[in-house]
Amino acid sequence: MGSNALRTLSAAALLVSAPGVRAAGGTVSGKVDVTPPKYAAETVVYLKGVAESPQPRTLAMDQKNMTFIPHVLVVAKGDTVKFLNHDGVGHNVYSPDGDAYNLGTFKQNEDRTHKFDQEGPYSQLCSIHPEMLGYIFVAPSRFAAAVDPKGRFTIADVPPGSYKLAVWNSHLKAPDQPVTVTAGGTTEVNVTVKR
Amino acid sequence: MRISALVAARLSVAGALLLAWTDALSIPAFARKYGTSCLTCHTVYPKLTPFGEAFRRNGYRFPGVDSDYVKQETVALGQEANKKTFPNSVWPGTLPISVPLAIGFNGQAFLYPDRTSSVARANGGAGVSFNDLVKEGHIWAGASVDDSITLWGELTFSSGSADVEHAQILLNDLFGPKHAVNLTVGRGFPTLTSFGPHSSYLGDAFITTVPVTAIYGLSSDPFTLVDNYNGVELTSVIGGRVNASVGVTAGKNTVTTQFFNSENVYAHLGAKLGGMRLDGEGSQGPVDAMRPWAEDAVTVDVFGFRSRETFPTPGTGSATPPPVANTSLTIGADLRAQLGSAELNAGFYTQHNDRGTASLDVVNTNVEWGELSYVLFPWLVPAVRVERIELRPGGGPNVSDIHLMPGIAFLVRANIKAVLVGNIEFADGFPTDATGAPLPWAGGNADWGNFVVAPGAASTPTSSTHEIESISLFIAWAM
Repeated sequence: MGSNALRTLSAAALLVSAPGVRAAGGTVSGKVDVTPPKYAAETVVYLKGVAESPQPRTLAMDQKNMTFIPHVLVVAKGDTVKFLNHDGVGHNVYSPDGDAYNLGTFKQNEDRTHKFDQEGPYSQLCSIHPEMLGYIFVAPSRFAAAVDPKGRFTIADVPPGSYKLAVWNSHLKAPDQPVTVTAGGTTEVNVTVKR
Repeated sequence: MRISALVAARLSVAGALLLAWTDALSIPAFARKYGTSCLTCHTVYPKLTPFGEAFRRNGYRFPGVDSDYVKQETVALGQEANKKTFPNSVWPGTLPISVPLAIGFNGQAFLYPDRTSSVARANGGAGVSFNDLVKEGHIWAGASVDDSITLWGELTFSSGSADVEHAQILLNDLFGPKHAVNLTVGRGFPTLTSFGPHSSYLGDAFITTVPVTAIYGLSSDPFTLVDNYNGVELTSVIGGRVNASVGVTAGKNTVTTQFFNSENVYAHLGAKLGGMRLDGEGSQGPVDAMRPWAEDAVTVDVFGFRSRETFPTPGTGSATPPPVANTSLTIGADLRAQLGSAELNAGFYTQHNDRGTASLDVVNTNVEWGELSYVLFPWLVPAVRVERIELRPGGGPNVSDIHLMPGIAFLVRANIKAVLVGNIEFADGFPTDATGAPLPWAGGNADWGNFVVAPGAASTPTSSTHEIESISLFIAWAM
């Protein structure tokens, strides 16, 4: 699958994830302060307690230049991830986490899929290239986001209500904190993540 | 007795014996790894701050989770998640993105105010000597494989020789509470106190050493308490206030044609009251942020060391007929008291050698040392060190030598240092050879600040020698 196909797949996923909650939803955004900052890129912010029954999506994680792209992919429980290989070398994808899986070895332009039915972080490993590492974080709902390089995040189209905002980091922790979302409003939350 | 070429040679050999202790434990490879200044761990290197001592005790790891502080890029040799797939995966580790090496050089210049002093006489009445201004080169290696295993190595080069001074794998936190059980495998210094072996501003080594079998001409590679030995050592820091070590090393065996039962066995127990914990865990930082070296604390240690060394039978110079063994037993203690920027170190040990003299007689040795220093500025530390070595051989004259070292250690930059130190000796008596003739001898610390005394033309085995031995300027840089 080429990069065009990957973009098409991502766009399709966005369309699938836009049911009626958008018009009445609010936004949760903010900044995550990570200490030590070297682990900032491996941070996901998500909401707990949002009731929804969305259509499952299919998202993609690529392998290029012997790197998982994106490094952290956020999906919702029930979503499927298509693992691509755009390297000239064969790759393997496996994870010992959650419902551990091993997708075998596949060559350039081949792909494998896995449906994620358990919440939580999944390390993505390649047995052929042990230096490769990526994460798929399976959130309880679509209302989750990986932080950007500046530590900021935005979770849009959240149904109004009171929830818990939780943070996952590959090495660090932060306590959950309550957030209240209003229709059309933006709730700003700052989070500190540390040992 | 007149100073002869033989005497000069013996002093030279004695100096060379001490050279092995001049290596410093400061390595810029760690500065690069953590992206931090030398001053995080050192005052005038290799002297360590309380944090630096904790880093060393922790097996060259920061308190907390070491990898949190590593700024240097690493290559993953596996991933944390591979621990879940072990034994079907190799246990994960990392490799520094660049070879974790550092280099350094050191040497010393001497001024001999008294041209009739022992060393000046041995060098033809020299007043100044730049011969050793560049004496050694070092290549250091320091790295971590993961949060528990670290590596430490040192190659030292000097005129015509290269030696692996250190090569250790440190297996930390093997089980139990953090820092409680650690194993070091390889070559290195025995841990006999709570502090690094170079915990001195003036003399380089914390413990004053005495090479008994070299002093009496038995061995060219004598046993001393602080030297590089192959072996294994268990270390422990418990509750942040108590630390201990137990080790077994190969000892000294100058007869290389056969293996002998020459193992060293040693142990130490220490405790610290006040100041930063021995492991540095939970520290809120120094009381005075402008003086990170300063604290109010008292640390005490006791140690014991049993050594068995072998050397050729005197007079034969070869392994046949069978070589002779000397067994020594050492018991000692030391104390460090810190009050802000002032620090007092004091210690002593008593050592019994069952075959230490030229006629293979008993030698009982008492050694005491004390060093008082004050960190005036982060780069300037005046200090004074006093040492005494007493030799009480069976069938020979007693020797008592007091070595006084007033001096100042300073940094030109954080990685360029100098030590200006005077060496004054008050010696009573000389060791003697098999014929009863007085011998020149050297001992104590590294050769810019050691005991060096030789009998003069009219000296007898019981003569007293009081002399200003030298004023030395030690310089070193590392990067």
